[in-house]
Amino acid sequence: MTQDLSGGFSNLCPKLSRRVSVLIICLMLWGLPPFPAGASEYDFAIPEAEPAAWSFGGRITARYTWHRLDDQTTGYGRLYAGTDPGANTHDGQAAAELSAAWRRSSFQARVLTRHAYTRTFEQDTWDNDIYEAYLSWSPAPNITLDAGKKPVLWGTGYAWNPAGFLNRPKDPDDPSLNLEGRTLAGIDFIKSVTHGALNNFGITALVLPVADDWFNTDFGQHGDVNTALKLYLLWHDTDIDFIFFNGPDHPLSLGLDFAKNLAENLAVHGELAFQKDAPTTDYTADSTVSQTTENQVSGLLGLRYLNAHDTTFIAEYYHNGAGYDDSRIFLPSPDRQRNPGKDYLYAKISQKEPLEILYLTTWVSAVVNLHDHSLNLQPGLTWTPVTNLEINGRIGVPIGDAQTEFGEKPDRFRPEIWVRYYF
Amino acid sequence: MTYFQSALRRAGKWVMPFVLSWMVCAMLISASPILVSAQETLTGAQILEQVDHNLQPGNLEMYRKIINIEPDGKKKEFVLWFLKKDMDKIVTLFISPASEEGRATLRLGDNMWLYIPNVGKPIRITSMQSVVGGVFNNADIMRLDYHVEYDVADLAEDQGQHLLDLKAKTGAVAYDRLKMWVLKQELVPTRIECYAATGMLIKTLHFKEIKDIGDGVVRPAVMETDSPLYQGYKSIMVSANLKKRDLPDEVFTLNYLSRVKDLR
Repeated sequence: MTQDLSGGFSNLCPKLSRRVSVLIICLMLWGLPPFPAGASEYDFAIPEAEPAAWSFGGRITARYTWHRLDDQTTGYGRLYAGTDPGANTHDGQAAAELSAAWRRSSFQARVLTRHAYTRTFEQDTWDNDIYEAYLSWSPAPNITLDAGKKPVLWGTGYAWNPAGFLNRPKDPDDPSLNLEGRTLAGIDFIKSVTHGALNNFGITALVLPVADDWFNTDFGQHGDVNTALKLYLLWHDTDIDFIFFNGPDHPLSLGLDFAKNLAENLAVHGELAFQKDAPTTDYTADSTVSQTTENQVSGLLGLRYLNAHDTTFIAEYYHNGAGYDDSRIFLPSPDRQRNPGKDYLYAKISQKEPLEILYLTTWVSAVVNLHDHSLNLQPGLTWTPVTNLEINGRIGVPIGDAQTEFGEKPDRFRPEIWVRYYF
Repeated sequence: MTYFQSALRRAGKWVMPFVLSWMVCAMLISASPILVSAQETLTGAQILEQVDHNLQPGNLEMYRKIINIEPDGKKKEFVLWFLKKDMDKIVTLFISPASEEGRATLRLGDNMWLYIPNVGKPIRITSMQSVVGGVFNNADIMRLDYHVEYDVADLAEDQGQHLLDLKAKTGAVAYDRLKMWVLKQELVPTRIECYAATGMLIKTLHFKEIKDIGDGVVRPAVMETDSPLYQGYKSIMVSANLKKRDLPDEVFTLNYLSRVKDLR
């Protein structure tokens, strides 16, 4: 039947039929991909492109630390008073961090919990903590409201953040470490500017209430409500933050930080912090405690440089306004800081993929007390040999004379390895 | 047959082929709009702008799969969500693997930052570093349009293709010079050689698999790179799921990096 119709049509109008055939062929060619497709050696499927309302994840960390002890030091006497650990102690920790997130429209919720079993010379402990649990609502792209427990990390320094008044202490050589959040309610507003030297600015306003035995207990008394404000500017290609933090039982704290690329492989950053009437705890040699207040000014200035061999150099000078520059750095203090001295230098050299080993980074860092010239030297490495498996190692080697900060540490050296698996 | 019918038939004999040819041409041209520009004699700057338009047409989002291949064949994959606005704003968000999920990078002109969720405050990074390891550096992954960063120093012909010699406009650009081979018809690159200011070849980018990667955008879907500095290593970037999308400027700010995942 088709042949009859076709033949009949051809007979009726042979030239037009040929033209129609050409047109049909052209149309068929038009419908084909404009370039030869062929069998591809590449996989173009990206299933992750379809986001889900719920997402779950986490990681497991196993950590082992060996302490080679020095029983002649002040630190040893204080840490192991009344015990006999011998020449070595060993710490082990297994931790699981589990996260769940939900998102719908402009709302989202996230929970991160941490569960850790720690075994030390003295005791075995279980810790179960909620690191994050918050709700967010973004009624517009440039406005977000948060309520709950959420980490706050302000400041531009790598090793220290004197202007990060809300920050938890961090480990500069383990940037993947999860940090516990602060319980807060806040609003974040961002605005871009298209003309002039100011490219954009942002305002973050937070309230942080204090509830005994529950949250923010290090910020004051039960019932206190602290306030924090951060103004961010990107001005003349420079990040600038102005920070304010205050509360009924917390000193007025003002901060400033900045960061700027001086060249495509050179960046400078810094922080300045002022605390008015900050409480200080002092101890005399006969262990008498005295409480005073003082105005404290702290500052940090740092550089980060990358050379053509993928070697990164970081150097930071830190002045700790709350620090000591005499023998008081050996005395116990309830508000003991990670580094109790007054002036420090942090230096780190990291080499990406040495010996052409992919995903390996080796590094050596040092924290130097500039007053007594003692230091903690720390070579280490991070390697991800397979996807989602991260192996870290480092050896802490305190170096210094007697009566110096690092010379009086309890360890002669301290090798440490931790393995993380992400899922 | 009337005189009018006879005249119409004689006219149709000449007009019909013309009309049919015109229709076919119109259809072909509408199917491949990039052919239009190929009909004209273009300057080097025009070719470069057309290359940019064909590779990254305006404001968009897309997914990029980066595969690093080691000499022994071992592979590691990363999936990024890529957002671009105007000539100078780029955000990428790591979707997988789990160890990298949530990390984000921002580029505003010559400024680049990396946001790591646990670190909080985004840190400044440089164009020659690489957030994914392998041969691609940050400038390759968060590349601005070529004509924004380079001037055309010379236009020649080589192997039947345009050969553009590009010179960086400022010292802040990752590569001092580029040699770019461009298909004359499609106006997309096939190969780009990247040189340091010393004249040393840093890497070569190979563009492959011209196809529709989404929203009707026809361009090379695959970019491969190798480098004399990384003998035996190869990195591949596959682009897919492109959608034209206008996002507010505020998305391209430091404060937004922690929340950019909310826009997916």
